[in-house]
Amino acid sequence: MFLHYIDLSWRSMKRTPLVSMLMILAIAVGIGITMTSLSVYHMMSMDPIPHKSDKLFSVQLNTTDDGNNWWTEDDVPLQLTYKDAMALHNADTPERKTASVRALFTVQMDDKEVKPFLASTRVTGRDFFPIFDLEFVYGDAWTSEQEASATPVVVLDEETNDRLFAGENSVGKQVYLDDTAFRIVGVIKQWRIHTKYYDLNNGAFNSPESIFMPITLIAPLEIQNMGNTNGWKYEEINTFQERLQSEMFWLQFWVELNTPEELKNYSDYLQAYLSEQGTKGRFERKTPQFNLKDVNEWMQYNKVVSADNKVLVGLSFLFLAVCLANILGLLLGKFLRRAPEVGVRRALGASKRQIFIQHLVEVSMLGLLGGVIGIAIAQLGLWGVRFTSNEYASLATMDIKMLLAAPAIAISACILAGIYPAWLVCRTQPAIYLKTQ
Amino acid sequence: MLSMKNISKVYQTEKVQTHALRDFNLNVDEGEFIAVTGPSGSGKTTFLNIAGMLEPFTGGDFMLDDVNVGTLSDNQRADLRNQKIGFIFQGFNLIPDLNLYENIEVPLRYRGIKSAERKRRIEECLEKVGLASRAKHLPQQLSGGQQQRVAIARALAGKPRFLLADEPTGNLDSLMARQVMELLEEINREGSTIIMVTHDSELARRAPRNIQVVDGQLADFTLYQNKAMDEIAAKAGQPAIEA
Amino acid sequence: MLEIKPVFSALLRSKAGAVMLLIQIALTTAIVSNAAFIINDRIDYLSQETGYPEDEIFSFTVKSFDPNLDISQKFEETETMLRNIPGVENAGLFNASPLSGSGSATGLSLAPASERGPDVRTAYYQADENALDILGLSVSQGRNFRADEVIVSQTRDVFPQVVIVSRALAKELFPEGDVLGQTVYFGSDPLEIIGIVELMKGPWLQDSKPDNVAIIPFVSASAFQHIIVRTQSEQRAAIMRQIEDLMLEDHGKRVIIGLKEMDVRKAEYNSSNTLMLRMLVVLIIVLLLVTALGIFGLTVFNINKRTKQIGTRRALGARKSAIINYFLVENAMICSIGVTIGSIGALFLGRVLLEHYSIPALDNMYILFTALFVIAISLLSVLMPANKAANISPSIATRSI
Repeated sequence: MFLHYIDLSWRSMKRTPLVSMLMILAIAVGIGITMTSLSVYHMMSMDPIPHKSDKLFSVQLNTTDDGNNWWTEDDVPLQLTYKDAMALHNADTPERKTASVRALFTVQMDDKEVKPFLASTRVTGRDFFPIFDLEFVYGDAWTSEQEASATPVVVLDEETNDRLFAGENSVGKQVYLDDTAFRIVGVIKQWRIHTKYYDLNNGAFNSPESIFMPITLIAPLEIQNMGNTNGWKYEEINTFQERLQSEMFWLQFWVELNTPEELKNYSDYLQAYLSEQGTKGRFERKTPQFNLKDVNEWMQYNKVVSADNKVLVGLSFLFLAVCLANILGLLLGKFLRRAPEVGVRRALGASKRQIFIQHLVEVSMLGLLGGVIGIAIAQLGLWGVRFTSNEYASLATMDIKMLLAAPAIAISACILAGIYPAWLVCRTQPAIYLKTQ
Repeated sequence: MLSMKNISKVYQTEKVQTHALRDFNLNVDEGEFIAVTGPSGSGKTTFLNIAGMLEPFTGGDFMLDDVNVGTLSDNQRADLRNQKIGFIFQGFNLIPDLNLYENIEVPLRYRGIKSAERKRRIEECLEKVGLASRAKHLPQQLSGGQQQRVAIARALAGKPRFLLADEPTGNLDSLMARQVMELLEEINREGSTIIMVTHDSELARRAPRNIQVVDGQLADFTLYQNKAMDEIAAKAGQPAIEA
Repeated sequence: MLEIKPVFSALLRSKAGAVMLLIQIALTTAIVSNAAFIINDRIDYLSQETGYPEDEIFSFTVKSFDPNLDISQKFEETETMLRNIPGVENAGLFNASPLSGSGSATGLSLAPASERGPDVRTAYYQADENALDILGLSVSQGRNFRADEVIVSQTRDVFPQVVIVSRALAKELFPEGDVLGQTVYFGSDPLEIIGIVELMKGPWLQDSKPDNVAIIPFVSASAFQHIIVRTQSEQRAAIMRQIEDLMLEDHGKRVIIGLKEMDVRKAEYNSSNTLMLRMLVVLIIVLLLVTALGIFGLTVFNINKRTKQIGTRRALGARKSAIINYFLVENAMICSIGVTIGSIGALFLGRVLLEHYSIPALDNMYILFTALFVIAISLLSVLMPANKAANISPSIATRSI
């Protein structure tokens, strides 16, 4: 019977091609516009590490005076000072934790073959790799001994390894970063994430860094961070050592807490740590304030999805509503003109339900066609987005979820619009239409 | 098997109540061929619509094959209609988008009959009305008489106990009208019960039983000779047959 | 003659279709007025004056990795090399590039840091006495830096004693009265304001204070150094093409990155605004089109449904204009109710956007103009089918279908 309904719908569309096209076009345009903005929104807000996003927490400590304003919603600075970050980094608890910061190095080999290039580098602890689920193609992370003794070792990503060593196993080989020789200890599988959630400072949608080195090298190599550095009070800083001891915020800190109990324990730990720091007179604050935000909370807190995107998604759905009102009006006209035929069908034994379903199948077909054309329009729209903004280039695509969502939304929307006209037509008294034509 | 007792039908609009049928009583037995006549607006079509369960009635009892129609839901009425009743309309009411085969198929589909069985029955019915070679034609490619024969085939396909015909020859010239009448008579001989509303006195006289609806009430002439109709109609103060 | 009453009663009878049209018009009015307002807001933002001749300037970053290099000395030579390129007007080291989205900001206060006075947030550029010329700026009051006021140092042991500020910053620091000669504090270092530039933007156009800018005559060449170059605008592209080679020729142990025109940098910084703008433009164009087609389609349906009735009216002596008027009046009625509801919706939507999505408060004129525009579009969409209806032959009335 279902196939029969589809056949009937197809005939019905062919009978009024103009109106059918108008309706399909309306739904297609509605879906196209909606899916364009929704796809970008979806990519932006997508959980970047779904299986453990609720176990990874970004740490914020408020080491400013009471009444000090910050641009976050709760006035807590986004980053940590070097001394706090290293204190937490070197603490016994929890099992996995790491401070990290972005830096920029010139990469060169000791030959003239490879032209020196700049590489975005993550200066961090060895826990960084297991925390963010980075897998190794060759070798492994540096050891805790290497980290403790500030040995110049690095981990490369696959693309950098391809560039420098044509993809061969480079573990044990040397690379020069800013004229310092580093030994390669590992190569990670290329890290592909849309949102650079672990460091949202300089654009949430930049690529991850391509080189990793121990955070303990910051002091001996006097590594300058490439990110945001914020102070909240005036400090005389003339040497790198003074900078490390300052109250400036410039490092990120992540911990992995697997159970509510671990979360509770770590909260207690931070509470105690801040109280202790407070007594040292670093800052004047009545009650210690800190945040532990998991990945999704962190992304919301940093407003990864901008207000503009939300406005666009909202307006697109309103637009879709206009398309639906449009379709509903046209369907009313189309279906009611068919009342005589429905009368005959009712006389021949069709139940109201069968008539209702027949018409819903018809609107679903419209929705399906509109949805498919809508995907094409959305692709055009996304191309426009990529063309307009480099930043969104990796975001303006439809993943399989969105590709399936398009016809699903189109069909549900059409059914929504079709229910009333279908209900009207199925409850018409058949007798009225049978006597004369 | 079809029995109406004190059936009434009132159309209610904002200001006016119109009694289309009142105290309507009728028994129809298996195998009858009944012609229903009456002036315009007397309630013939209302009667037929109620008999075919296309319209609900306002009061009285209506039994169809021991089923009390008044107690059925809309869906149950649709099923019962589908199984027991075939319709033939003055305007043929073929669905213009469907070819002859598909038109006849419509009630069979609603009954959930399998494809092979549908094919057998449709071909049988088309054969009976002499249009087997035209199965793939669309209704508008046929003459009025042919269209009506298709409509009859469609009504027959479901093997209904009752065939309800509303002015089946109204849109046809006399030659075609006679052919359609002959077809109906043949169907009646094969066992179907037929109730036919008509304006045509000649056709009405060919039916074994004639009833007349006047002002929503029934006058039954079965016991009289057909020729006596005019006199009785005159008694009722109405012309029995419209020109 | 406008026959409102019969139109109205006919409307009531076919209410569902009319209601749909009404909803469509109301939503369209609400969406378009808000979208148009946002569009205009973004156009204003994107086309704002920055004070710089953007088409003459480009900048890049040099990362040096020679540990034995005297960086200050080397960059002196590099500057000279750059200034000698034909077509280059001026070039020099900066701590940040204007409009790029990356730079430094501080709080300037009227008292030294130890006294903890209130401060005014401002972006600051550090460069030598060529800064104004490189950026294509000039002081409107006061004077430029003298060469002897510029401090070239790798440490902060010695700090400059003068500063040039933008008019906006001057006004915020000293709301009334003279600015020139006044002293402000950069931390604990006092700076005397010697010049005012009417308009120059900081690195962040979306900053809360994009116009607050100070220029400090301090050059601290670093291993990661921004360089800004101003050229004759028609020569810029050609010069940019050779800049990497020239820089590497000048010194081999460095990497050149981020070579970009100032206007391109600005466009990249603003790309999400451009995106919003374009998406909204597409949205309202398509929306108006869909609404117009919807009105058109619905009118065609209504006319088809009433073909016989229209024929009868014509047979009874209705003029063509009367038929057209009938449909126009019908549409105008739905439309005016629609835009009224839509205007209320627009106000509501505007408030939601203001409260939750940091969009500025909707200007009511946008609602008015949108409403008029929607009415105009709606009447235009009716005109064609109504005209067709007026041409229905009266003989249709006598034919039965």
